[in-house]
Amino acid sequence: MVKKSAAFPAGLYAMLLFALAWLTLPRVFAPLERWLVGSACVLPRVGSVWMGEPAMAGNREELALISGLSAELRERVERHDLAGSGIMMPRGDKSVLCGVLSVGRRGGGGEPSELLLDHTYAELGDYREIVTKGSALLGFLLEPGVGRAADDKADDPARVILCNHRDAPRLYAGLDNNDGTQLRFVVEPAASVDPAALRVDFWDDPYRASNLRESQQRVYTLPVAFGRERVPGGLLVGRTRRWGYEQDNGDETLTIGMFVTPAVAPRALSHVVVWQSGQHPALPIEFQSSLRARRRIKATVYDLPGATHGRHMLVANEDVPDGAAVVQDGLFLGSARGLCLGSALVTSFAASRQDWSLLFLPPEGEGDPVELHGSVVRTEGNVAWLRWTGPSREQLARLGEGFLFTGSNGKFCPACLWIGRAVPDQFERNLLKVIVPVLKGPRIAEVIVAERDV
Amino acid sequence: MRRWFWWFLLVPQGFLLVGLLEDLGLPPLDMAVLSSLYLSWFAQRSALPFLLLGVAIGRTLVDEATLPIHILVTGIPIALLLPLRTMFVAQRWLWQAVAAALLAIAIPKLSGLFGRAFDQPSVSSILNGWQVVWSALLIPPLLSVLRFLPPFVGFTESADQKKVVAR
Repeated sequence: MVKKSAAFPAGLYAMLLFALAWLTLPRVFAPLERWLVGSACVLPRVGSVWMGEPAMAGNREELALISGLSAELRERVERHDLAGSGIMMPRGDKSVLCGVLSVGRRGGGGEPSELLLDHTYAELGDYREIVTKGSALLGFLLEPGVGRAADDKADDPARVILCNHRDAPRLYAGLDNNDGTQLRFVVEPAASVDPAALRVDFWDDPYRASNLRESQQRVYTLPVAFGRERVPGGLLVGRTRRWGYEQDNGDETLTIGMFVTPAVAPRALSHVVVWQSGQHPALPIEFQSSLRARRRIKATVYDLPGATHGRHMLVANEDVPDGAAVVQDGLFLGSARGLCLGSALVTSFAASRQDWSLLFLPPEGEGDPVELHGSVVRTEGNVAWLRWTGPSREQLARLGEGFLFTGSNGKFCPACLWIGRAVPDQFERNLLKVIVPVLKGPRIAEVIVAERDV
Repeated sequence: MRRWFWWFLLVPQGFLLVGLLEDLGLPPLDMAVLSSLYLSWFAQRSALPFLLLGVAIGRTLVDEATLPIHILVTGIPIALLLPLRTMFVAQRWLWQAVAAALLAIAIPKLSGLFGRAFDQPSVSSILNGWQVVWSALLIPPLLSVLRFLPPFVGFTESADQKKVVAR
């Protein structure tokens, strides 16, 4: 019996099974992890006493630059997202810029199809169903307790289904052909295995449609009412993508389907615009919601030994939530994983490999801020290479040197925190070279945490 | 009880120490490879689950993935190498070098695999060729010393225990 148990390490296998259960129910085991890893941090925390005095941020000029750029980004994001041309909403309607807390649920084209916003249904009050961004239609806001939002309550984060969600209504849309004529059709969510998020169905003139030879044509909504709601005309839905077989002679492709790529990649979304009805004004929107955590607590960040790899220890007076942004005077240092006794482990942006929602700010006069999605693939010193998706070809062609900021990355990591200078790689356009400031030694920073319960 | 105290106190800090030594210019080594090889071929089998936990906690200090990911990433190679312990009773250095190289390849690959599966990508999923070479060269001699030092010595399987299993 002894021999058998020694040969079959049941305990080891049990531990592996336990780890799988842990991954399946992360919230249940989160306190255990906080204590286990937090206990291992006690020794470095004691050692941090001898690491010297924490420093404040660098020189005043840099701080002024960061603060100025953050304000400029906010202003330009609002200007772009709220003042979309071509939107004909009823007189008195008010547009509200909302941050995106999370994206999820795979929809057409394998892209995410649902958003949770940083505003509750109650805060938005009597809202219109459509959700826009600039002059683009993104999706539809749900009603709590109905359909997909059956389990939602009025004080839950507002849920948006994007146009590629399987429950999203079909859209009446059209495109302007090169010969000056208009082709009209119905756009519906594509299947998750399709090459794009939306597909075209029911052409008004199938013969002319079969002769379309171009891709990347702009697709606009045509005015239509469904139920008690209506979709105004002139909103950008996306761009066409022709799908078919290459012919042997290389002349023409055999078109077997027409898809529409959304105007903004769902994963890149940081902000969206919701329309409040002018007839029944809602609560003042500046009312502090716990969804928009903005409370900052003081913390000290220490380099862990071997911290060239971008791992730091943080000590604060309160518990730090997972994913909280660590900021030093507007400069984004990294995201924290909370541990027990007010300590946390911080992974710097350059050292992280997680997916980020980001904002690229070109210099003034060189275009609007660009929302993008990406992850760091390589780091050399203070330079990180980011593989990104999101911008349209037009935006991509215009991009030069600019500044990179966080987009909305969850409740505790809001948009508009400065990451560094960025420039597209000259050989691979989908790589962005990000130069991050290097700060060494202990420093005083701030962590974004939840509002205190009143 | 004391041996457990030393294990949980020192092994996680070993991960930070290896980083520090690398910063000072020493060859890049992965503490997870060293501990996994020790656990696979030298440690007492009955103690493996909690020894593994100590290693995973240490890896969480230097890598952004969560603790259960590190349990799987280090635990699976150990579970695969463990049956080979009876075949390599002599524990020749050659086999240790081969096993260390395999672990130095398998651990980053598993990190990448589990990172993708559970949406927790991390920097340690990048395979470093030099780390494979240095692991093969340095880990066998390091283990020959470390397994007789605390906290490893408290868990090193004695010759009698090995025979019972091998028989």
